[in-house]
Amino acid sequence: MSAVTQPRNTVLSRALRTPGLAIGVVIVVVMIAAAVFAPWISPYDPDDQDVMLVLVGPESGHLLGTDAFGRDVLSRILWGARISLTVGFLSTAVGVAVGTAIGIVAGYYGGLVDRLVVAATDVLLSFPQLIMGLLLVAVLGASLTNLVIAIAVTAAPAFVRLARGSTMAMRERDFVDACRSLGYSDVRIMFLHVLPNILDELVVMASLWLAAAIRTESTLAFIGLSVPPPTATWGGIVREGFDNLLDGPWLALFPSLAILAVMIGLNLIGDGLRDATDPRAPQ
Amino acid sequence: MIRFVIKRLLVAIPTLWAVLTTVFILVRVVPGDPTMVILGDQASEAARAALREKLGLGKPILAQYIDFMTQVLHGDLGRSLATNRPIVDDVLAVLPWTIELTLASLVVGAVIGIPLGVLAAEKRDGFADWFARIFSLAGVSFPAFVSGILLLLAFSVELRWFPVISTAKSDDWFGRLRALVLPSINLGLLMVAYVTRVTRSGMLQALGEDYVRTARSKGLGRRLVVWRHAFPNVLVPVVTVVGLYLGVLIGNAVLTEIVFNRPGIGKLIVTALNQRDYTLLQGLMVVSAFAIVIANILTDLTYGLVDPRVKTA
Amino acid sequence: MKRLLLATAMLLVPLAAARAETVLNIGMAAADIGQIDPHRATSTQDKPVVSWVFNGLVRFKPGSASLESLEPDLAESWDKSADGKVWTFHLRKGVKFHGDWGEMTAEDVVYSFKRAGDAKTSSFAADYSVLESIEAVDPYTVKFTLKKTVPAFLGIVANYHGGNVVSKKAAEALGADFRVKPVGTGPFQVTEYKSNESLTFGANQNYFRGKPKIDRIVYRFIPADASRDLAFSSGELDVVYGRQDQRWVDRFSKEPNTVVQALKPAELSLLHINTTMKPLDDLRVRKAIAYAVDRQQLVGFKGPAVNPPAVSVVPSGYLGTDEKAELIPTDIAKAKALLAEAGYPNGLEIKVVQTSLPTMLASMQILQGQLKKAGIELKIEVVDHQSWHAQIRKDQSGLVYYAAARFPVADVYLRQFFHSDSIVGKPTAVTNFSHCANADAEIDAAAVETDVEKQKALWKTAQKKLIDEVCAVPLFEGLQVWAYKTDVDWGYKLDGAIHLGPVVTELTTKK
Repeated sequence: MSAVTQPRNTVLSRALRTPGLAIGVVIVVVMIAAAVFAPWISPYDPDDQDVMLVLVGPESGHLLGTDAFGRDVLSRILWGARISLTVGFLSTAVGVAVGTAIGIVAGYYGGLVDRLVVAATDVLLSFPQLIMGLLLVAVLGASLTNLVIAIAVTAAPAFVRLARGSTMAMRERDFVDACRSLGYSDVRIMFLHVLPNILDELVVMASLWLAAAIRTESTLAFIGLSVPPPTATWGGIVREGFDNLLDGPWLALFPSLAILAVMIGLNLIGDGLRDATDPRAPQ
Repeated sequence: MIRFVIKRLLVAIPTLWAVLTTVFILVRVVPGDPTMVILGDQASEAARAALREKLGLGKPILAQYIDFMTQVLHGDLGRSLATNRPIVDDVLAVLPWTIELTLASLVVGAVIGIPLGVLAAEKRDGFADWFARIFSLAGVSFPAFVSGILLLLAFSVELRWFPVISTAKSDDWFGRLRALVLPSINLGLLMVAYVTRVTRSGMLQALGEDYVRTARSKGLGRRLVVWRHAFPNVLVPVVTVVGLYLGVLIGNAVLTEIVFNRPGIGKLIVTALNQRDYTLLQGLMVVSAFAIVIANILTDLTYGLVDPRVKTA
Repeated sequence: MKRLLLATAMLLVPLAAARAETVLNIGMAAADIGQIDPHRATSTQDKPVVSWVFNGLVRFKPGSASLESLEPDLAESWDKSADGKVWTFHLRKGVKFHGDWGEMTAEDVVYSFKRAGDAKTSSFAADYSVLESIEAVDPYTVKFTLKKTVPAFLGIVANYHGGNVVSKKAAEALGADFRVKPVGTGPFQVTEYKSNESLTFGANQNYFRGKPKIDRIVYRFIPADASRDLAFSSGELDVVYGRQDQRWVDRFSKEPNTVVQALKPAELSLLHINTTMKPLDDLRVRKAIAYAVDRQQLVGFKGPAVNPPAVSVVPSGYLGTDEKAELIPTDIAKAKALLAEAGYPNGLEIKVVQTSLPTMLASMQILQGQLKKAGIELKIEVVDHQSWHAQIRKDQSGLVYYAAARFPVADVYLRQFFHSDSIVGKPTAVTNFSHCANADAEIDAAAVETDVEKQKALWKTAQKKLIDEVCAVPLFEGLQVWAYKTDVDWGYKLDGAIHLGPVVTELTTKK
């Protein structure tokens, strides 16, 4: 029960001493700020086309160059952050929340519930992830909401498995018995005592998923489904960049670097949090 | 062990049936039909309707479903609507390419990911750790189609080491191996991030365990402690991750297959969907779902090998 | 270490053994072949292939896209009756079909044209509805009797679409398999098909014009533009299908030992406007759209060398095209005024369904930017290509962006896109997305008009009516862009490509 009983100030002081965590927080905060303040800090209108400045490089006065429609790439990345971070966070959050909840319940109760959940998860996992996303978006239509749904559905089964496995292992531990003997309700045990103990594992997986979700959007765009234009998204910019990769490599490169930065930030946070809550970590 | 495998295969039957049914319904809900590919855009609506009738697409969906299931139960995947070729032939033609690429990528993922993870754990917070973590993340951040083109630019166009078109003749083993290098690196990079992470966190935990500390304090060599005492502990989580991401690999192989011009199940699935070749798509989904089931069984069998506590019998 | 590197490098360099055979590697921008049955093949990746495998009674001179270049092919000569309704063709003797399918005779020709005229087996049946009868007079003579005279009759017996002659025996024996195992008389025959990968053609040793100099053609499907380009740069492709994009042409022109050509016929891009949907049923709104479209800017984005501006609602260079049709100019102020007059002073929103194919989506995005300036907001819904094909045929998109090349006679284009028979939703539907029927009279009259000048005048009137009614806004014409290594010698002068790609003939070779 380390995570719940540990005095708060130790976790905090440990966390502050982990340089990675601080760097991670800075990166993510900067990215979120960029998304929030995009309308004020973008040098150009992200949708403004300019036939005279098609695919010009960073030397043209457009800091990160322009795309095939002469639109400013920096502005598109800034505006794209709004959509891509939202899609990434939202779809991961939905996938993790739903997947984890189902996984814990299945792992905690076992029996028929567990078998049904396992069967359903198996079916979902038997679809190659990308194909599943593609089919779902094709059926639902390519809107942002549907994109979130499609990515969340592909994310959920992995979390069901993870949470279920950990919960099953946890169920046998003494403190769960202790909680039961104290007369705690199942729901309370599951979400106040089991969940915190598997949280760090979940956080680490979720941070990887988040970037995967942003990337999945570009992948879906590549094999044929994208959000309605002219909306800028990172995945969409990368996809358009691919079409012009040999004429303007920056177009694919910069949004990919943005995805990389978010990933590094999130992973540093994930690692930092885990290290801070792990009593065995070297000081 | 054989009993275990048979049991798992039997358990998988309902899963395969559910996959098949889901695909059957989904592809018929999506607008469009195969007549555009077969007849082109200058055919009249009447000609399209006639073809639909001929292909059996005019019947109610339930009747189509029953026909299809009966056929599958007889072990026949049917013929492609677009090319009229037996689906089994198309599948067999691309299956070796998919297996080859998946396995090679797994190897790449493990060969790069495991040492990186071990190194990162050992030199925690040092330069090596930071490098390993950031490098492994780069693999997941760049979409496979972008990294693929970058690899081609560097190694195929500039250095001319590997071909751009990765389809060597099947009897030319050297050529085929050569054509496999870049695609498997490209797809393998996706695995590296996951493998590195799991290895690193597992190693950190193991290195902190009492018996490893004891071994260390006894003055055993660093290498021996790391690889002999600590490393075996991370095998189970690594195998789990590899097994779990096999599905991700098969799906993401599409992009690598397209960029490197390789045949493969993933690419064929996308084409079949784009052409609304219902029968081919259904057949391919069954095959890929089956492949994932097999992969899961192999994962479980591997547990038995790497962890003596797990019995697979 | 250095030596080791060298050794590995040598191992990796392809074994450049002296090639025993001449192989032509062609890269195509498609995931797979659609059809090689000549009576069905319509897509860009299918048509060049058909021209290597089949012959017609007459043929477009290789390297040309003009009806004036027609020359004898399977027929050595022909006569026509005084009223122009009976045509007799005298066939070349001793022409063999590929494989063991025997000699090509009048029987095959009769079968082929009946097949091409039957909607169950052909996508071009409408083109052959004028045939009253077709008979084999003797094994080497075929007589066509027409219900009425038609413009450019030789064109429909040329090696294009339904005019390609197939083997009767093979077509009957192979049935549905014929579409990937076609049997013709051309210089090359299909030897291997790998789906999603390649089609391989072997030389037809018995080709009647002589044994081809190329032994094998490998036609590769490489849908990703960048990969295709790199395969050409690395020397793995000799010929590559290009992008209809100025930057592509500029970049490839700098490649060493490379020829880049933009060939006719052009695919005309039109923006069809659905005249039955609100608010597009109002002529003022449609006119506003036309005034808001900036043709010159579109051409600027796409590149004038590969995408010249459209001249009419029919592609330029076709028999009957009004090359100087009066189009609605760009005038944002006028567009806004018309919208206000129609009751939309604050602009309006139009729902558009568009395919996710990159080049087509790009064009729609440019239009979206242009129309926005006039206050017309395009709500674009991006769907996959087949969904798009289905949805635009169900009136689900107010504007339909469609690019197409057709048989180079105005009648075909006008009939398929603007005749009331072709209106989507009808059993006879083809691709009339605008629901316009205002030029039916002229289109029908022109089809039976025997006086060439009167016929042209009728077509001109039809085009004017369609433009004035704003059934479609002409945008630009996409030429066929190809690049090939300088060591490829086509064996003829490549000026045009009626089959959308270069014809590989018996004379084509690699130096």
